[in-house]
Amino acid sequence: MVGILSYGAYLPMWRIDRSEIANASGGTSMGGERTVASWDEDSLTMGVEAGLDCLSGFDPKEIDVLYFATVSSPFKEKQASSMIASALDLRRDVYTGDFTTSLRAGTLAVKAAVDAVKSGSAKKVLVIASDCRKAMPKSDFEQLYGHGAAALLIGEPGTIADIGGFTSVSNPIPGLWQRNEDDFLKSFEPKLDKIYGLLKDVPEAVVKLLENFNLKTSDIAKFAFYGPDPRAYQDLARILKIDSKAQLQNPLFEKVGITGTPHCLLLFIAALEGSKPKERIVCANCGEGSDAFLAITSENLERIKQKHRGTKHIFTKRMIQTYGHFMDFQGIRKTDWPPKHMRASVVKYWRDQKWEIPFYGMRCNKCGTLQYPIHRCCMMCGEIDNHQEVKIGNRGKVFTYTHDYILGPGLFPCDGINPATRVVVDIEDGCRLWLEMTDHKLEEVDIDMPIETTFRLIHQKDDYRFYSWKVRPVRS
Amino acid sequence: MKKGIKDRVAIIGTGVTKFGERWEKDEEDLIVEAVMEACVTANVDLRKDVEAAWVGTFYATTGISGSTLADPLKFYGKPMTRVENYCATGMDAVRNAAYAVAAEIYDIVLVCGVEKILDQGGKGLDVTMMFPHPILLGQSAPAIFAPAAIRAFKEWGWTSEDLARVAVKNHHNGAKHPKAHFRREIDIDTALNAPMVCYPLRVFDCCAISDGAAAVILTRPEIANDLVGRNNYATIKAIGLAVETLYPFHRPDYTGLSFPANVKAAEAAYREAGIHDPRKQLDFGVVHDCFTINELITYQDIGLCKPGEAADLIREGVTAIDGDFPINPEGGLKCFGHPIGATGVRMICEITKQVLGKAEGYQVKNAKAGFAHNLGGPLSVTMITIVGTPDWE
Repeated sequence: MVGILSYGAYLPMWRIDRSEIANASGGTSMGGERTVASWDEDSLTMGVEAGLDCLSGFDPKEIDVLYFATVSSPFKEKQASSMIASALDLRRDVYTGDFTTSLRAGTLAVKAAVDAVKSGSAKKVLVIASDCRKAMPKSDFEQLYGHGAAALLIGEPGTIADIGGFTSVSNPIPGLWQRNEDDFLKSFEPKLDKIYGLLKDVPEAVVKLLENFNLKTSDIAKFAFYGPDPRAYQDLARILKIDSKAQLQNPLFEKVGITGTPHCLLLFIAALEGSKPKERIVCANCGEGSDAFLAITSENLERIKQKHRGTKHIFTKRMIQTYGHFMDFQGIRKTDWPPKHMRASVVKYWRDQKWEIPFYGMRCNKCGTLQYPIHRCCMMCGEIDNHQEVKIGNRGKVFTYTHDYILGPGLFPCDGINPATRVVVDIEDGCRLWLEMTDHKLEEVDIDMPIETTFRLIHQKDDYRFYSWKVRPVRS
Repeated sequence: MKKGIKDRVAIIGTGVTKFGERWEKDEEDLIVEAVMEACVTANVDLRKDVEAAWVGTFYATTGISGSTLADPLKFYGKPMTRVENYCATGMDAVRNAAYAVAAEIYDIVLVCGVEKILDQGGKGLDVTMMFPHPILLGQSAPAIFAPAAIRAFKEWGWTSEDLARVAVKNHHNGAKHPKAHFRREIDIDTALNAPMVCYPLRVFDCCAISDGAAAVILTRPEIANDLVGRNNYATIKAIGLAVETLYPFHRPDYTGLSFPANVKAAEAAYREAGIHDPRKQLDFGVVHDCFTINELITYQDIGLCKPGEAADLIREGVTAIDGDFPINPEGGLKCFGHPIGATGVRMICEITKQVLGKAEGYQVKNAKAGFAHNLGGPLSVTMITIVGTPDWE
């Protein structure tokens, strides 16, 4: 039966205490903390991270289709999934597609994935949902939102959970919207959206799903919902007569926030992590209607739990100390850094993408040196055009480093306050790299510090988004 | 090597402008100032005697092409070439000119190095143009050397105090040089408490952004005898140049404890000059102390001491102006700053003055031969020129 072969998730390292937001923006704290993507992260890079987590133990070349679901793509026009596919080192003939403009994009992508596998047009489909929504300062969204990503690998056989079926409801309610010219999300009447949208559509989709399988709510071990605020989950539990303690998956509001498109999938993954074999999980989403699907876990689930970080990302975190940094990470506060008009050749970036994005180096066939980046001649023995292209590993340690207060991250003139940490690292496979470090504290950097690679935004010179790899402290 | 450069080229004229923040002067002013001083000391008439010229500039804002030199001097119709080779830009201009003289293509040539860095604005050297690739990581100038300091601290137990001692020594020397940018002594606590520039390098571990120009007139020794007399010129004993990668930190053999270009350039220079023990055969040196760690690592790379011992040299005062082997008796880049095109030419002027006994106020005793050293780019280019009195063997 078609179902889920693997799961993965990503939550950025950074958190802000909601009371810090309340102090700066007014109002009262909703309690707890929320995730915040670093300035060099977006839905695309977080999607890569979730994809890497999901594909741990799988050959990326076996993936036939990649669907990327988001309402916060870094581009209005430009496919994000093709860049994600390249960073994940998927095949060149992979089908890539972006599902967007609705928070239901993630569950719709799962539906499309299941249909593709069922129809025989694909064997393995990777679905990644990721959002990095900016919140209008002083709006409730500042505290409500969190940033994160979730990934599911759909296929057969060997599922950790079979997907029983889907139901859907479409409802053109005003809801939340963002026009092309808007920088932030808008809403007119959240109460109307809740009463005539969420609390009507989700129960309708769920009831229909249960009816299709002759199931009662008590047959379901966990419900993984999307809700726009923590109270909405309780409301859904009440309407559906679900035991909110035993059956309702914790909405992760206390530690993460509402992540948008990936949220119900993230909760679904959390439910998988807490499930035993042969349990039923219902995942139900909401956004101009509702999608719901039923999953039944298998014996395989236990086998893969340890391989994936999933929602364990919650436990590795760093606090953002001030609201100002929160603004800067989101790119909301206007500063004179980075400078706007620095040149960088997009042509060079395009030409060298093999080593920039899927992160290949070369191994000289004559002297055996593994080196980065790919050149015609070996940097050690000078052998010409005689090498193999080799994927660079993702773990290593610091050989030496500096904190550069002259040139900041991305080789922009530094703001003089936030230096770029540049490190010489030795990757476990023997490759030597010179990369920027991110998600770190200056005082923890030292010789022999363990690091891992992470796909990030390097800079936006010439108004283009240049992505490649950095290193960060290893997240446990 | 068939003949080498030793004693085939004479330095007969030197000109150095005041180095510093020359806000009110442009490259035209600086070039005219340096070239006229060089011509006067060389006893040559620019328009009548000089047959060809080389100009060293690093930044396009200072100038590209030979016209950079021709226009300020209104000196037209001659063969002129602009040279650029990172921080060895000026010294490489001298090298190209010297080879043309040695080849007897020309009798008398002019070399001028100039840089108006302050005209560019901004903090630190603009090195972004050095890294044209949008992804392959570059770094600021201090970030080239700071990782080496981190390794040296770990491997040899060197400390920030050792780095500060280099700054204290060079500031002590530069305080006596009328053309230095910075003419004040500092103490070790001042250096250790200065703001961080690039960990672990602080402000006094780094040379400043300065404007300046320097010029030399070269000819062959037999012509020099007629023009200035036997006691008033020095001869070039050797020129060593080694070029390495722009991306040293990707190399598996990068250690931070030695810069390969330094070692290779020194080997080449010593071979050409017939030197097997630089501490004994040479009397002093001018080292590219753009950052203090660089001066220490260079001591070792060019054979002034064994690996790990450079900190001992600075602690024991061996390289002080009254020490056994003075380094940067004029104050180095620490006091002159580093107008890139000018620096190498300025260094040639300084070592020439030393061996001629004309380094008034900062003269090294019994200086018969010394070297000038540039290390440029991300450990990419080292150039060493050895200059001595004509009778130095």
